[in-house]
Amino acid sequence: MNRIFWIAWREFLATVSTKGFIIGILVPPALIGFMLVVMPILFNDAPPKIEGELAILDPTGEVVEGMTAYLEPEAMARRRDDFKQKIDAATPDAMRRLTAGTGSAAATQSVLDAILGETPRIDVLRLAADADLESEKKALTIGSAQDGGRLAIAVIHPDAVERSTGSPSFGSYDLFVREKLDDRIEDAIKAGLRETIIDSRVRHSGLDRDEINALTHVRRTKSITVTEAGEQETNEVLNMLLPAGFMILLLMAVMTGGQQILTTTVEEKSSRVVEVLLSAVSPMQLMTGKIVGQLCVGLVMLVIYAGMGVIALVSFALLGLIDLSLLIYLPILYIIAYFTLGSLMAAIGAAVNEMSEAQALMTPVILTMMVPWILWLPITRDPNGTFATVASFIPPINTFVILLRMSSNSPPPMWQVWLAILVGIAGAYGALWFAAKVFRVGLLMFGKPPNFATLIRWVRMA
Amino acid sequence: MADAIVVRGVTKTFGPKVAVRDFDLTVAAGALTGFIGPNGAGKTTTIRMIMSILFPDQGEVSVLGHRSALDAKDRIGYLPEERGVYKKMKVLSFLRYIARLKGMASHGLDARIKKWLERMDLGDVARKKCEELSKGMQQKLQFIACVLHEPDLLILDEPFSGLDPVNMRLLRDLILEQNQRGATIIFSTHVMIQAEQLCARVVMIHEGTKVLDESMGAIRAKFDPRVVLLEPLDASADVQGLQTLPGIRGVERDGEEWRLSLTESSDPPTVIRDIVNAIPPARIELHRPSLEDIFVQIVTAAKEGLQGGESSRVTRPEHEQAAEEVHG
Repeated sequence: MNRIFWIAWREFLATVSTKGFIIGILVPPALIGFMLVVMPILFNDAPPKIEGELAILDPTGEVVEGMTAYLEPEAMARRRDDFKQKIDAATPDAMRRLTAGTGSAAATQSVLDAILGETPRIDVLRLAADADLESEKKALTIGSAQDGGRLAIAVIHPDAVERSTGSPSFGSYDLFVREKLDDRIEDAIKAGLRETIIDSRVRHSGLDRDEINALTHVRRTKSITVTEAGEQETNEVLNMLLPAGFMILLLMAVMTGGQQILTTTVEEKSSRVVEVLLSAVSPMQLMTGKIVGQLCVGLVMLVIYAGMGVIALVSFALLGLIDLSLLIYLPILYIIAYFTLGSLMAAIGAAVNEMSEAQALMTPVILTMMVPWILWLPITRDPNGTFATVASFIPPINTFVILLRMSSNSPPPMWQVWLAILVGIAGAYGALWFAAKVFRVGLLMFGKPPNFATLIRWVRMA
Repeated sequence: MADAIVVRGVTKTFGPKVAVRDFDLTVAAGALTGFIGPNGAGKTTTIRMIMSILFPDQGEVSVLGHRSALDAKDRIGYLPEERGVYKKMKVLSFLRYIARLKGMASHGLDARIKKWLERMDLGDVARKKCEELSKGMQQKLQFIACVLHEPDLLILDEPFSGLDPVNMRLLRDLILEQNQRGATIIFSTHVMIQAEQLCARVVMIHEGTKVLDESMGAIRAKFDPRVVLLEPLDASADVQGLQTLPGIRGVERDGEEWRLSLTESSDPPTVIRDIVNAIPPARIELHRPSLEDIFVQIVTAAKEGLQGGESSRVTRPEHEQAAEEVHG
């Protein structure tokens, strides 16, 4: 037991003290911090102000006026405010609470401002009906978008507002723009032309645009989830993201430990230090020590990230979003999932001579671990469906599936949770049994890397 | 005193290849035994079975009175043929780690490690990473890891390979010192001179089968080529004429030296006295075969015995005895 402790301790220290691990632990929160703090600052470095003219060749005589009004700076600023309000309305309440009073709300607005850029000043120039289009286009090649030159030429088709006789459809417009014109300006011009042309068409048809808008608009509404505990506004985004968050956490911790145990086993084998170790401990003690050491590495990761998550939820008074029992089940499911994957990875590490040879054997294991990613959406959408229920009892994915279901808005019954845990333990035991046999034989096998048939033969041999 | 190692009828196969066949070995407690054999003979496999790193398909192994070395690992020091260290680990940490796996207590451990490092001229590398050490230094480091816990049994697989002559001598002295301390030692080697200098007894394995297991004295007697080497005082002396002396079968020149083959029934001291009386020698000696000669002789005889059959035995009678050893 003492020896297993020393092996586990060395394994743990050798992993957590590496630069790779420290960077791996620090990078994700650093990235999130970067997104929240640095990105708005970067976006605040707004693109240069755009000033220039839009020339319109308008045989209908209806569009120029409408476009002049549409592109007025005040009108553009008003439309931006409307857009920001729509974004705000679409943000889930929990997210809004999360960002309220932290400066993040202001940051979000500033990001939006940055995305939209500074309000451009675009003058509309009416071209004479007999203007030479080719010579007018030359103005698009002179100067830049910032120096007040010509930005674009819109050529309105004669039948854009009123149909030609006998034609079922309306005409449109052609748009000529200068090189590298900001796409936001081009979009604004296109939107303005569209609005103006539709307005004119509606007016000529003797209809009222506001009335049409009112008739065709139905306000989006949020559903109300009715549960035994009462009614609450359905939060689709969090309902999808929360299970994914838990699953990613579990997968990350399991993969980190699994990958490390593979790497260190291959290293011990390729550096031939393994035989020195085997003179002091049995293969089973060595494997157990390594698995336990890396289990602790994964636990450290889990504690750090889960702890950060809980602190964040507590800070924003959002702890009620999660069922706290999940924080107890998470390490249990982690240990089961880790023992399954970790022992398989240890077996692969013992079987090969170097990392490059491990790829072929690792592929099916990694693909299996990717299954929960693929199943995330269907399981989250229907957490108690037949598919989700059956997948909860198929190791090695069952730990991930049951966690997805438990963190969804319709958790499974407790008997399913415990049955899934029991099945997971049985799966982990099977994986350990297989790994112990491969580990014992594989550690001192050098030369041609084995395939799966060879591994089976080793299991029979051991 | 009980035997330190007892191996009885051990066979180990890897797929179709028989690595070790019906192997017997007894190493008395306190003995210093050499384990020699050509590449792929089965030395390392045998040692690994003694260490319970591999397990025999048939037969029994007893180490320090236990059915498995696993039960006596703390009393065994093992230097494997394939030497390795944790590259990123510091020397002191590596030795501490191995010592703890060997069941050593932390108290006084660092002092003992430092003492050994000083002894091996590695005093200034304690804080260095193992990867910063030369191959020879890493080998010395491993030897320290092997003897740090003062084991009762030392199993050294090719301990001298890769060492320069100075370190080879240092290691030889340390092995002798460990033996004098009371440790039983078995080591495999290709460097026959080391086995000759160190061992009271030699075991040779070839193609998985034991072909020699004798004390050095018995081996020399068994493989006595019955040849007298003569360098006459007068270079023009008629050495060929000695062929007429009783007990001399043939005379052959080898540079400045003459090789005089003796008949099976002759008494070497009598023949040497007769030679000296006939031709005053600058140097005369009874040729003693080196272990290397015996090693090559046995291996070659075994190969030829397998390939050439009876004909080679007739034309090279001195190999008959070795061939009999191999097949007997």
